Amino acid sequence: MEEPVYLIIRSLVLFFLVWFSVRLIGKRSISKVKPFNLMSYIVLAIVTTLMSLNLIALVPGFIVLLTWLVLPLALDLLAIKSEVIHQLINGKENVLIKHGKIMEENLLQVRMTGEDLLAELRSKNIFNLTDVEFAVMETNGEINAYLKSDQKPVTAHDLGQKVAPQAEPQTVIMDGNILNEPLFSLGLNQEWLKVELEKMGVAQENVFLGQVDSSGDLFLDLFDDAVEIPKPKVKELLYANLQKVQADLSTFSLQTENKNAKSMYLKNSQKIENLLDKLRPYLLN
Amino acid sequence: MTVASQVKQTLASLKGVRGTLNMYTLQTRDDEIQSVYTNSLEIADNIISDLEDRLKNLELEEPQYKGN
Repeated sequence: MEEPVYLIIRSLVLFFLVWFSVRLIGKRSISKVKPFNLMSYIVLAIVTTLMSLNLIALVPGFIVLLTWLVLPLALDLLAIKSEVIHQLINGKENVLIKHGKIMEENLLQVRMTGEDLLAELRSKNIFNLTDVEFAVMETNGEINAYLKSDQKPVTAHDLGQKVAPQAEPQTVIMDGNILNEPLFSLGLNQEWLKVELEKMGVAQENVFLGQVDSSGDLFLDLFDDAVEIPKPKVKELLYANLQKVQADLSTFSLQTENKNAKSMYLKNSQKIENLLDKLRPYLLN
Repeated sequence: MTVASQVKQTLASLKGVRGTLNMYTLQTRDDEIQSVYTNSLEIADNIISDLEDRLKNLELEEPQYKGN
């Protein structure tokens, strides 16, 4: 009876010890782990298994564990301090495609065939080799490609479009409960939220998720999907109203005979037109 | 509808626009957007005062329609 209990306690203690060690070694996900760290993970795992099975004594086991924990930590620290050691441990990245041409020697160095390279690129949604300007194999084996400038996705910058900066939205209601902290970080309070909910005609208990975007508009998702809630269209409305005012002013400028009034209307109509241009990226997006 | 009442209507729309803009100025968290809105508010204010002046003149010219 005593033996199994002893084994369980031993295993539990070792489990938490190894768990703590793994956390100490690094935060990266297992697929992005450096080969060297992978080695220490494996050694830690094997030694722990042997220890919990009582195949090696506790004291030498702990010494081995400690060594394999300290070694990667120390080397990581050294690698941060010195470029040479960094290259020694992690190796260097290999350039596989340069100026759109495959570097066959480098491909051989990392022991890849052309088909392997093509498969890797396809997994990055690149099917045409001519689209790639530059590709490199990182030290963890991942291949990253830089597309030719005419193959890169179009951005607002390319189009010369101005877009409004958008900060991350904050979740203020979850499962019908108001979350105070994000609400306060926006400079709002529960009263504001309750007024907004009332304006939309929605009960707080019926809200599954509520988010406030950076301009202060509230978006809701309800438990009851049959209920339609109006999407906030205030900005679009604002833009349309301004357009209407602008049209009115130009009409007035045509109608009036008074010279002064005519120029005043014309000037202001022009001002609103400029204003519309300026506000467009912020109100319509 | 007289000219004066048309101008009044436009003035009312513009004041509504100004109110909404003011709300967004207070709500937004981004400094850049805030400065754009503040700037727009100033322009709206100028136009509002221009229109109000014009309205006074109109009512002076057509006192029979005053208050419509």
